[in-house]
Amino acid sequence: MSKKYVGKDVLKVDAQDKVTGEAQYPSDLKFEDYLHVKIKRATYPHAILRDLDVSKAKQVEGVVDILTEKDYPDLNKFGLIIKDQPVLIKVGEKMRFMGDALAIIIAETEEAALKARDKIEVEVEKLEVMSNPQRALEKDAPTIHNDIGDLCTNYIDPDVGKQNILMDHHLEKGDVDKGFEEADFIVENEYQTQHIDQLPIQNEAGYALYDESNDVIKIWAASQWLHDTQADVAQAMNLPKEKVRIIQTAIGGAFGKKEDVSVHLHLALAARHTKRPVKLVYTREESMISQSKRHPLTIKAKTGVTNDGYLTAWEVKVIGDAGAYASSSPAVVHKGMYHCTGPYNVQNVRGDSYAVYTNNTYGGAMRGFGTTQMAFAYESQIDIIAHKLDMDPAQFRYQNAYDIGSTTPNGQKLGKSVNLKRTIESATDLAQWEGEISE
Amino acid sequence: MKKQGRGMASIMFGFGYGEGFPDHSIAEVEITKDKRIKVRTAGADLGQGFLTTMTQIAAEVLKIDPSYIEIVGQDTHKAKNSGSTSATRQTFFSGNAVREAAEEVMGKIYHYGSLYFNSNHPELTVKDGELYACDECEKITYWELAEIVEQRGKELKAEATFFPKTYAPDRKTGQGEKIYVAYTFMTQVMDIEVDTDTGLIEVMNVYTALDVGRAINPQNVHGQIEGGTVQGLGMAMMEDQVIEEGITINADMTNYLVPSIQDIPNFESTLIENNDSGGPFGSKGVGEPTIIGASPALSNAVYDAIGVRIKSLPITPEKILNALEEKK
Repeated sequence: MSKKYVGKDVLKVDAQDKVTGEAQYPSDLKFEDYLHVKIKRATYPHAILRDLDVSKAKQVEGVVDILTEKDYPDLNKFGLIIKDQPVLIKVGEKMRFMGDALAIIIAETEEAALKARDKIEVEVEKLEVMSNPQRALEKDAPTIHNDIGDLCTNYIDPDVGKQNILMDHHLEKGDVDKGFEEADFIVENEYQTQHIDQLPIQNEAGYALYDESNDVIKIWAASQWLHDTQADVAQAMNLPKEKVRIIQTAIGGAFGKKEDVSVHLHLALAARHTKRPVKLVYTREESMISQSKRHPLTIKAKTGVTNDGYLTAWEVKVIGDAGAYASSSPAVVHKGMYHCTGPYNVQNVRGDSYAVYTNNTYGGAMRGFGTTQMAFAYESQIDIIAHKLDMDPAQFRYQNAYDIGSTTPNGQKLGKSVNLKRTIESATDLAQWEGEISE
Repeated sequence: MKKQGRGMASIMFGFGYGEGFPDHSIAEVEITKDKRIKVRTAGADLGQGFLTTMTQIAAEVLKIDPSYIEIVGQDTHKAKNSGSTSATRQTFFSGNAVREAAEEVMGKIYHYGSLYFNSNHPELTVKDGELYACDECEKITYWELAEIVEQRGKELKAEATFFPKTYAPDRKTGQGEKIYVAYTFMTQVMDIEVDTDTGLIEVMNVYTALDVGRAINPQNVHGQIEGGTVQGLGMAMMEDQVIEEGITINADMTNYLVPSIQDIPNFESTLIENNDSGGPFGSKGVGEPTIIGASPALSNAVYDAIGVRIKSLPITPEKILNALEEKK
């Protein structure tokens, strides 16, 4: 089935603009007479904000205004799946991580905005900082979010504290106990992954402008999902969606990091307040501290195997560090679990996953969405087992590999496009792998 | 001493949001009198080639050179929802929406073209932006047809939505009929060299076979394999945002290490193309799967090279040296 344009190496349609510098990234946009925005952020990872004094900061020459929660007491919280992140922290309420925003500084120059930011006085009452999800799961751990409805099921291990569990998910396929009984040996290990920044070259950045003629706030900033960012900004500001217009700029990489709202809300507030164009560009430091991370996952994996090299049961326990806010956590941690066996036939699968609030920078979307971490666990297990069996790791994979008709840990039966075995054959061919592979 | 090792990883990735989430993309295709074909989509191009993929799909269906295709609507007020560029979904979701919208427009080209030429549909030839009823007959261009259609008060324009169904898994068992629209598979073999004095790892070769269904743009798929793998090697060997008691202590690119040009291995890759998935022309998504194999393939190669198993990421020189010390 030969095609004329599909299957061909057509040059990227935006390549020339990017190479010549024609492409308009947020910082390349030109606005007359624009103002600079900077954000004053949390001073402690877990604390009650007792006082926020911007009076000295407002006196800095060039400062147009400084906005705090007092100016906008009716804003709603935002977030991709669960709305749990405040736009600005209110005096008397908690900051939960170092990225929480306390004040929006608007000034004629960047220098003035930065100088004013240093003059904002913050008083806090420190609380216990929970950086380790294991601590957050203890029954006596303080609660990070008191006002989130209970999203948990009744299937949580009764020995753990539920107060910081954002969401739990479970797998139960086949008869796992019987599967382990049928095994000739069991391999059990714990794996740990780390916080990773998606590190797109372009940091979060944008402009906004309030159009008084039609009461529309226009925002020029990158988003991986324009209409979702629009909806999140609009609901936070109690506006109809049509009143928030988001215009995509050229995007300098994202990898999941540009799914969450970043500059958009603070820009929208500043633009509407000043009725002038406003610009906000994060520094790398600010981007790393205040926007989403790849979740560290703690994965306990237990695999039952027969001496002839087949998998009889697989069990996982997954704890994901969700950090201070939900972001994509309600989807990421268990997506990892749903891929716990890798692409191998296992009739009996059990799993529990917990996404746990901590005072770390929040976990969100990053390329692979939990399954990248899980692959480190399952493919380590597979390799360890192959060595125990003294079997060629390629052959061990091949004889357990998914095919048409295989079922995933979710019990989804795969009906088409399952060419895993071909990938094993081809990759080993390319690598001139020693050893034969057979069914 | 330098020791060589070889590791393998096979992975799967269920793409699209799945789990019963109302995942869909809307796209519109229009032939305009100014000799353009406008594809309206709000989908974001993050650098991977979304705009190019949509261009190729529209060009293929509409039988016209890709240079005539223009992607418009990167604006909440100018296009409808295309879903996110995430979850490895855009080629599959927006690609199908663009394909369907383009097919609708092709149907209109045949409809109005056959009225103009007073022919039946099979007699009509549509090719390279022109249509004609026989080889020696009059030809008209798409743009001329757009003008003719406009005189009838109609447009050569169509919108389509791709909205496949998935089901929410049971909360207690996680079981369900269809949790993800489809899965992508990949196998990688990685050759490395470990310096047992310094603990440094050098990745020499990466051999990849990726089950893509069909590559809309093979070069861009190879780009995904290489970019994804290198990003995965960052996770495997160096990247670590260290947060101590809630405070990031390396929030800068001096102390947060990522792969640079000198860390990039040789690549040899094969695309498995059976045209057997549900995306446009049998394709499926590849963006995320390409990062997933790197960390286990590297870890397994480390074991092959020096006989130690590191179970926490990243696999730093310090961890290698400590593990070698313990092994003694």
